[in-house]
Amino acid sequence: MNNYPTMSTVQIGDELPKMKKQASEAELFLYSAASFNPHRIHYDRAYANFEGHDDLVVHGPLQGSWLTQFVTDWAGPRARLLSIEWQNRASAFVGDELIFAGTVTAIDQANTSVELEISEKNIDGTLLMPAKANVRLAGA
Amino acid sequence: MPSSLIPPDSLKRIGEVLSGPFTVRIELREAQRYAYAVGDLNPIYFDETAAVAAGYATLTVPPLFLTHALVQPKPIENLRTDGLYNDNASIELRVSRMMFGGEEWDFHEPVCVGDEITGTTRLADLDEKEGQKGSFVRLVRETTFTNQRGDIVAKSRQIGIAR
Repeated sequence: MNNYPTMSTVQIGDELPKMKKQASEAELFLYSAASFNPHRIHYDRAYANFEGHDDLVVHGPLQGSWLTQFVTDWAGPRARLLSIEWQNRASAFVGDELIFAGTVTAIDQANTSVELEISEKNIDGTLLMPAKANVRLAGA
Repeated sequence: MPSSLIPPDSLKRIGEVLSGPFTVRIELREAQRYAYAVGDLNPIYFDETAAVAAGYATLTVPPLFLTHALVQPKPIENLRTDGLYNDNASIELRVSRMMFGGEEWDFHEPVCVGDEITGTTRLADLDEKEGQKGSFVRLVRETTFTNQRGDIVAKSRQIGIAR
């Protein structure tokens, strides 16, 4: 069996296992292709620099999908993501090592759901995306 | 207070439909391409038995795939210098730079491969705020996604910051 959290095991203050992501140029390209997104800052380094970016920019919604994965990997396949929100505070660039961390901040027994506070930081500790999510846990 | 960054004609557009309604079928190949591209190999996107065991009717899709499933193909002639598409969904503002501020999503019903999803995007909010670096405009595009049964499956709010 697995160790996915349930309403009877989850506690406020529980920490989600940290997740690391690091997007290569090929991954940025694949995301642009899969999302039909021709924005040049994601594949044309000279143009990204011209717009004032240090390097190729990691797509915001790609990081959004990493956030949802961070939650659903922890909560398990029978859980249901109810909501998620994030703010873009600073850019992530190609090759940056990105670290996702999260904590259970509230438990709603009636709704069988928990609230999570999540952060995506780069290796310097700069907060790139603060996020919040609500997820309905499976089982008793 | 008269708004300096938002022309009055743009303010009048609050509530207006900016794009859609567009209806698309959720395709297995597109959804799995998206899952591979984001590196999310959850079995509920790839293994029907796993998806059914998890309570879905059939394979489900990564939550944020919805936005991309609804993207309308457009001719290359419509591309601007920055690679984004020119479209009439642009709101005229007296600003030089538009940034993505973040997103907010609510999920109401599962979305599975084969579902027919209709998305409609409205200008939900447009207002001018004072920040540490001066005035900026906060622009909210809200998309409502419904399925073939008429259920609202999700809502997304994309927040743009312009200054």
